[in-house]
Amino acid sequence: MGCDIVTVSTDTQFSHLAWQRSEKELANVKYQMGADPTGKVSRMFGVYDEDTGLDLRGTFIINPEGKLLNTEMNFYNLGRNIDEMMRKFKANIYMSKKTNEVCPSKWKDEGDKTLVDPGAKMVGKVHEALNT
Amino acid sequence: MSDTCTVLKLGQIVPDFELTTYDPVKGDFGKFSLRDQIARERWCILFFYPADFTFV
Repeated sequence: MGCDIVTVSTDTQFSHLAWQRSEKELANVKYQMGADPTGKVSRMFGVYDEDTGLDLRGTFIINPEGKLLNTEMNFYNLGRNIDEMMRKFKANIYMSKKTNEVCPSKWKDEGDKTLVDPGAKMVGKVHEALNT
Repeated sequence: MSDTCTVLKLGQIVPDFELTTYDPVKGDFGKFSLRDQIARERWCILFFYPADFTFV
């Protein structure tokens, strides 16, 4: 199942081009860089800072039906952990295929312990379910 | 108006939106739309950041 990553800021596409071509750290960038100079899309996602005209560090995972499944937002001075973002993304894909399973906090990748059919029988028995 | 209140709720269908993009692979400008993503059955990750030419 394919995925597209789109980075978005309130800069224009012209600025994105100039930045990507001049910054060596971005030499291998493969994703599209979205331009939202009016802040319209940024406002919809609640990341637009009216005082500065800039976007906060928000990440959103949207499934192929257009449903919003995950959101994370950091203030300007804290970078995001890509490993955690990928963990959430993998977990969402996994659960879209195994709809009777849920991924606990320690889940990292396919093959790790999940909880199957969490229901009445698991109430008060999560420890046992996680450790058997 | 509140600065950072997330308008969208988890689990909801995101209203369609469109962005003009710069695509480094093609070296050209392009378009991204949620409608296209849904039509092509693809996941997407939106990654907002403050500004180009800063320390992301």
